[in-house]
Amino acid sequence: MDLINFNNFSYRYKGNEEYALNNITLNIQENKFILLAGETGSGKTSLIRCTNGLIPQFYAGFYKGSVEIAGLDTVETSIADLSTIVGIVFQNPENQLVAMTVENEIAFGMENLGISRDEMIKRIDESVKLTEIEHLLHKAPFELSGGEQQRVAIASILVLKPKILILDEPTALLDPYMAKKILNLLKAIQVEQKITVIISEHRMDLILPLVDDIILMKDGHVIEYDNKDKIINGENFKNLAINHPMVFSIFNDLHINKIIRGNIPASIPEAIKYLKDLK
Amino acid sequence: MVGKITENSPVIFTKDVEYAYSNGTLALKGINLSVFKGELIAIMGKNGAGKTTLIRTFNGLIKPQKGDVLINGKNTSLKNIAELSKNVGIIFQNPMHQLFSNTIEEEIKFSLKNLDLSDEEIRNRTNNILKTFNIEKYRKRSPLTLSGGETKKLAIASIFCRNPDILVFDEPTLGQDSREIAFFTNLVKQELDKGKTIVIVTHNIEFAMENVPRTILMADGRIIADGPTRSVINKEFLTERSSLILPQICQFNSELLKIGIKCPDDVNSRNEMKSFLENYLKNKINNIKGETY
Amino acid sequence: MSLEFLNAFKFMKKNTFLHNLDPRSKLLFSIVYTISALIFTEIMPLLIILLSIVPVLISGRLIKQWIKSIRGLFFLFIIIIILNTFFMSLSFAISMILRISIMVSAFSIFFLTVDPNDLALSLISMKIPYEYAFSFSLAFRFVPTIATEAQNIIDAQQSRGYEMQTSGFINQIKNLFPLLVPLIICSIKRAFNVAEALESRAFGSQKDRTFLYKIKYSMKDWIFTIYLVSILIFAVFTRFNFILMPVWLTWSLPV
Repeated sequence: MDLINFNNFSYRYKGNEEYALNNITLNIQENKFILLAGETGSGKTSLIRCTNGLIPQFYAGFYKGSVEIAGLDTVETSIADLSTIVGIVFQNPENQLVAMTVENEIAFGMENLGISRDEMIKRIDESVKLTEIEHLLHKAPFELSGGEQQRVAIASILVLKPKILILDEPTALLDPYMAKKILNLLKAIQVEQKITVIISEHRMDLILPLVDDIILMKDGHVIEYDNKDKIINGENFKNLAINHPMVFSIFNDLHINKIIRGNIPASIPEAIKYLKDLK
Repeated sequence: MVGKITENSPVIFTKDVEYAYSNGTLALKGINLSVFKGELIAIMGKNGAGKTTLIRTFNGLIKPQKGDVLINGKNTSLKNIAELSKNVGIIFQNPMHQLFSNTIEEEIKFSLKNLDLSDEEIRNRTNNILKTFNIEKYRKRSPLTLSGGETKKLAIASIFCRNPDILVFDEPTLGQDSREIAFFTNLVKQELDKGKTIVIVTHNIEFAMENVPRTILMADGRIIADGPTRSVINKEFLTERSSLILPQICQFNSELLKIGIKCPDDVNSRNEMKSFLENYLKNKINNIKGETY
Repeated sequence: MSLEFLNAFKFMKKNTFLHNLDPRSKLLFSIVYTISALIFTEIMPLLIILLSIVPVLISGRLIKQWIKSIRGLFFLFIIIIILNTFFMSLSFAISMILRISIMVSAFSIFFLTVDPNDLALSLISMKIPYEYAFSFSLAFRFVPTIATEAQNIIDAQQSRGYEMQTSGFINQIKNLFPLLVPLIICSIKRAFNVAEALESRAFGSQKDRTFLYKIKYSMKDWIFTIYLVSILIFAVFTRFNFILMPVWLTWSLPV
């Protein structure tokens, strides 16, 4: 069974004339690390909101078609039920941390679901080790740095044991060292827990080496969804105004000038391999 | 893109500047900095290193507790914020912290208020700035109806219309795609050509490497490096302290060296690397062709 | 009276007898002392009540914050003395000052030692619905965030030439718009973000919500409660039988 199914889904926010999402058809499997890429305003955040029912239950508007998560329809299933399958970490961690201490924060979702105290303690222990925040348990949210806040937000979603973890621009407010650390952490979690992780990200150079598949969006449409190599060598990827990694952009130009042939390397290791094979 | 130095005395000068917040944390611990007219510099460092505190001393939002900050030769302690912000225009990260007027036109007019301009001059500047930023069509619309990228443009426009000679940007490329970053880069070029001095606080190493000649690195309230971007962002400073990682071009350079391809010293930007690889590969192809003869 | 005065009400986590008491017994403390302060107008009883707070402050290691809060009221005290010396007596003025000090100290102790988290829990234990108790603690949680946001807005507007000081009453009101409008808009946006994050974590989905931490009235709390109730009884008794009290208790300044 597909984990995520968009069936000709369109959506427009109330009060807007234009559709934010146009006829989206998308089938996503489990155990994948996926990049969601597109120009600003292409509908990435709206797509994310569909996965746990926020659209159309929380955001009033008009929709056509359907979205199914693990077979459950996102209109008929409550957001609370869907949040046991889909965990979303939103853009600004400051606005997601609602408790006065990190420990209470991580427990929050489980408390809402009525999970027993013993189970809560067990899960907190696991997720805190995974995200390396044991030393922060008794701190208040505003005492934390951006990177720490982000890890707390991730831990507080992981305890709900979602099958799908979605992050909307998780590294936006972070410095480069922390951004790299978080993305690598997310990859490690995806591989270890065998869940599907979808990340909407602008920092191509950091994330491309880690992904399996890429979803490309433009003007509210999903214009392509495939594995990384197919997407990178396709026409759509080059023409979108996304922040292509430097290596890709150089080799793309060389490809256009017919100086290289075959697959375009998108990361430094790939470029090195290409040049090594030439020798 | 190069910022030319055109005069001898610095337009921004700080000497032994110290500042602590009311809760006691020392944000700036002895800052010495000189920025000359027409320069383009980047300030980089971890969140909490003191970057935004430092730029706030340039227009008087923060007055140092020890040391001096001189803008255009005059000590900031002698002027108030309104005076200083005529010369130093800071564009902060979040445009939503500024927008409150009924229309975009009024938003620009609000920025021009304390400059003592004639009505005609106000009209001219408003028209010009709206045209320059390509937001004339939104003139009578509420600022709240703009998209994210356009609100950022409006925020920049509302400082530019005041024509300060020193521009300071706080994280201008955050969350922007390549189109928006290209627009911004072009804007910076144009302002440099007009003789402005530009300071950019940024995490975007790639942007700094490609476009900014001089970088100041901060950590724990101090300046730990100050010099040409290409030499500042190198291995020595890549510790958790400064929160940087090697820019793509430097990583690529060192990986190429490992497989026996040495790039000349002047390959430090995307275009230079592209030209180098183009020549290298062309030679390879010619050699292969040559060998098969 | 600077903003420093407000610091005297900010919670800080410590491990003392006082901090570890249930928030309800501390609320009782504030109420008992306030009532005691209000039933007396004579200097000596009020002074005794005020001094009896000091050991409590010492046990909670709160002397520094307490001095700050009293210092913050200094200006107010001067005004009271001046006004009352003209209209009433200096003696009365001093009584007023003591009363205010007791009430401020009593509630200051409450806010300094009660973790907002526990406050929500204590409200729930008093049968207030979870949603209301939670919105209470959520407000507390976001106070520092909104304060920082307000400062950022002031900085951004000042950088455009906005001037904080202006003359004329109507102008001063108009002058608040560039600060208030962005603040309100940003707060509303933030509220939306928080709401969608809460929804995404199943907030409000179960009637039988579980809790990681619970508050319980312990033996210490019962002892403290008995102590407080005794003080109250003693105070009321003294009031009604004031004539029978020793002379020094009824002493007041000749002025």
